[in-house]
Amino acid sequence: MNRDFRVTIFTLIALAICILLQSTLLNQVAIRGVRPDLALIVLVFVSVRRGSMVGQVSGFIAGIFEDFMNVSPLGFHSLMRTLIGYLSGLLSGNVFVDPFLMPMILTVIATILKGFLAGIISAIFGIGSSGFITFTGRLWIEVAYNGVLAPFLFALLNLVRVFRPADKEKA
Amino acid sequence: MPGLFEGFISRHRRGVTLVVLIFVSLVFLVVSNRAVVLKPKEIGLSFTGFFQKGASGLFRWFGDTAGSIRQLNAAREELDAARARLQDMDRVAREIVELRRQNATLREQLDFAQSLPPDRIAAEVVARDTDNLFSTLTINKGSRQGVRPGMPVVAYQGDMEGLVGKILSVGPGASQILPLYDPQCLVSARLDSTRDEGLVRGEGKDHATVLLQYVKKIAKNAIQYGDLVVTSGLGGLYPKGINLGRIRDIKALAYETSLEIEVEPVINFDRLEYVFLIDAQGDVGARASAGAPGPQPTPRDAAGASP
Repeated sequence: MNRDFRVTIFTLIALAICILLQSTLLNQVAIRGVRPDLALIVLVFVSVRRGSMVGQVSGFIAGIFEDFMNVSPLGFHSLMRTLIGYLSGLLSGNVFVDPFLMPMILTVIATILKGFLAGIISAIFGIGSSGFITFTGRLWIEVAYNGVLAPFLFALLNLVRVFRPADKEKA
Repeated sequence: MPGLFEGFISRHRRGVTLVVLIFVSLVFLVVSNRAVVLKPKEIGLSFTGFFQKGASGLFRWFGDTAGSIRQLNAAREELDAARARLQDMDRVAREIVELRRQNATLREQLDFAQSLPPDRIAAEVVARDTDNLFSTLTINKGSRQGVRPGMPVVAYQGDMEGLVGKILSVGPGASQILPLYDPQCLVSARLDSTRDEGLVRGEGKDHATVLLQYVKKIAKNAIQYGDLVVTSGLGGLYPKGINLGRIRDIKALAYETSLEIEVEPVINFDRLEYVFLIDAQGDVGARASAGAPGPQPTPRDAAGASP
């Protein structure tokens, strides 16, 4: 099986689990109704680790899955996550991902980008049925929440063999 | 020529894939979103408008922050004195409101007993939106149990019934609720004390408050903090007299002809587990099984009932 394909399948399984957790269990730990976006952290991790191709394809499919589950119009999350996956993947091989600081920085930037893209897409397509909170308090709560959780999730995902860089896996 | 094309694709595989995925997403968005703006001029306006709103909000935030700091010291002493007095008054006002509400509820129940109560469907909240960008709730009852789009949804918390929202979309075994705090949720409301009418709208930014608009400024002196806001029944979607929330803040903006009232919902949406769908047309009984819930079914009904 093609390695990228195998990684994409594993990524999609991880993303699906995260999305299901976000809609159910994570409500218990919501701060002012804001839950962490674990799927975004996983997407950033995989994209930075495996590159833009895996990132954008995984982001697109996970986004479609999310669009089916939510009230958002089809294409909303897929467009957002495709772009985030692609842009995160551009950093692949160009940044050293330490255990703590870099996961936080990358996730914080990705969450702000998500808020920005959500605002742009909603403005252009006239999507009004959401609590659009771009650059207001709720977004910053999510930014902080994701940033704090990112090092832990990155450490956890590092343990999964399929996500390791190709050279390390051979070793 | 085909070789050139294939060569281009293989050289730019990543970029081509990105373009294709973005294109597919945009097609989905255009097809699935009826409100889409297709004219280039309006797309440009929406795009630039987003940045203008952002910049305006940012400048306003800085201006407000600077102004707030200046006023903070002067207001602190005044606040301390007022806070003690307000707490006493707030407690008394709440007690009065509560007694008034109990009185009204008893009166309603008296009338209620003389007429057929609307059928209700008990349901359990099984999921929420996967993202923080939207605010729907998913319940475990769908069209098979008689759920229809637009049905009002209520819940009981602390011996009080409150409006949760309305049914937005219905699947065979699950449905989505548009909650009260969503910006798209509009409810015709009435102040329980003064009987002034207004419109409650979700703010989207927070579960904690909704906005009561279009209450005339003349009513300001008669309105108290803690006053109850209920559904007015106008429009026919929501039955009359369902509790919405209590007044938390009253703003009389100089450029508005009406008040802007912040209302704290009686329902704590973070703790919401079971809800009850009101079937005004009363055909639930025909669909539901023999164990169909009464006016106030138990959470056990919501979790387990399935025809």
